[in-house]
Amino acid sequence: MKFRLLMALGLIACAPAYAQFGNLLKGLDVNKALDIGKKTVDANKEYTQEEEIQLGEGLAAGFLGAAPLHKDERLQRYVNRVGRWVAAHSERADLPWTFGVIENETINAFAMPGGTVIISHGLLKRLQNESELAGVLGHEIAHVVQKHQLQAIQAGAKGDLAATLGKEAVGSRIGRGGDAFGLKSQLANAAVDLAKNGFFLKPLDRSLEYEADRMGVVLAARAGYDPYGFVAVLQMLAQVKETDEAGIMATHPSAADRIAELEKVVPALEKYAGQTVEPRFKQTVGK
Amino acid sequence: MRWHSFVLAAILAAASCLVAAQEQAFTNRSTELKDKGAPEGRTLATLPDNTSVKVVQRSGGWTRVEASGQSGWVRAFHLRFPTVVESSSSGGSMLGGLFGRPKQQQASIATTGIRGLSADDFKTANPDVAALGRLQSYRVDKGAAERFAREARLVSVSISYLMEEATSSKGRR
Repeated sequence: MKFRLLMALGLIACAPAYAQFGNLLKGLDVNKALDIGKKTVDANKEYTQEEEIQLGEGLAAGFLGAAPLHKDERLQRYVNRVGRWVAAHSERADLPWTFGVIENETINAFAMPGGTVIISHGLLKRLQNESELAGVLGHEIAHVVQKHQLQAIQAGAKGDLAATLGKEAVGSRIGRGGDAFGLKSQLANAAVDLAKNGFFLKPLDRSLEYEADRMGVVLAARAGYDPYGFVAVLQMLAQVKETDEAGIMATHPSAADRIAELEKVVPALEKYAGQTVEPRFKQTVGK
Repeated sequence: MRWHSFVLAAILAAASCLVAAQEQAFTNRSTELKDKGAPEGRTLATLPDNTSVKVVQRSGGWTRVEASGQSGWVRAFHLRFPTVVESSSSGGSMLGGLFGRPKQQQASIATTGIRGLSADDFKTANPDVAALGRLQSYRVDKGAAERFAREARLVSVSISYLMEEATSSKGRR
């Protein structure tokens, strides 16, 4: 924690030089750093949809810097079609929904404010049919619909000190007229700092994950998919052991706990015998 | 049949003897083995808690299993799935028996199999604005999503979100 605090302060001191960790602590003036600029990410502000989208774009750009997109465009478009169809059944159907597959073998999926959802190839290749993918994307879509990540950013719930100071770092850059990363908005630049400070490794509150699970299965069922696809995903995840910092075990409640929570509600969906859509999935994701 | 060819084969490819292994599970309560995946199916047997079963097929809320020589359907929620690579310390005896090979070896192979993302990866990465543009170019509009859904005969259903209060509705059908 202390190291991260120093890291964040270092970012303030020499904002453009992220890689030069050796120089981080030189010439550091904490008070000055904390004074610089207004917080770009304001805890009390109600964000417009446009601002929310800009935050998400910055997070996505930061994310993709660490985890390159999968090169298979057919795969990317397939995941976008499934995701867009599921999202169309949400209360925020008109967001610019954007789905992406990263090459990485980590097993996880990630939601960003404004409607960007990323799934890792490591997770995708372990799925068996489209209803399972719809369940995973439904969970992430639910996070966006409920603005879980946005609220976490604002509440500083992600928010150990390092992340909070990350926001200040942006203030400093913008104070210098900085569009440091070539992104279009200050908010997007602010979000890049969040990504750097570990935004994607911090768990949300368990209750929010359970809520996203409950909503995600309904979204998938609304779109005509078998709601039990997501239960099968969790049963698969229960069998996987991983030690990955960005993995699903590190950032979510245990699969067994999530299954137990879903059992409270999912049997009510049994009458909606949706489709699994296996052939199309196998054909596209196939091996 | 389901995931073993991906997870087990991927993780344990080095141990080729395991490629044909079946997905294993245990009952997490005493449950009825039915002749079809439906509440009205005929009960073939009652499986006690912690019965070892082999997963054959999934269909909605029901999972077809083989258990002590019998084949039938149990409720999906009545199964638990052990971590395949459980080390020898806990619950190891069952797993070792199931897979018929040393558990130690399973653990060492599997835990090195997944290369993920670290805090350092995020910290040191610079934002990739070009990749963001590429990501956004993959978007599809609602119309394309609807055509895609029709191809698979996916039909929209109106369902309200499930609150936990609605859970006592086991008999709601």
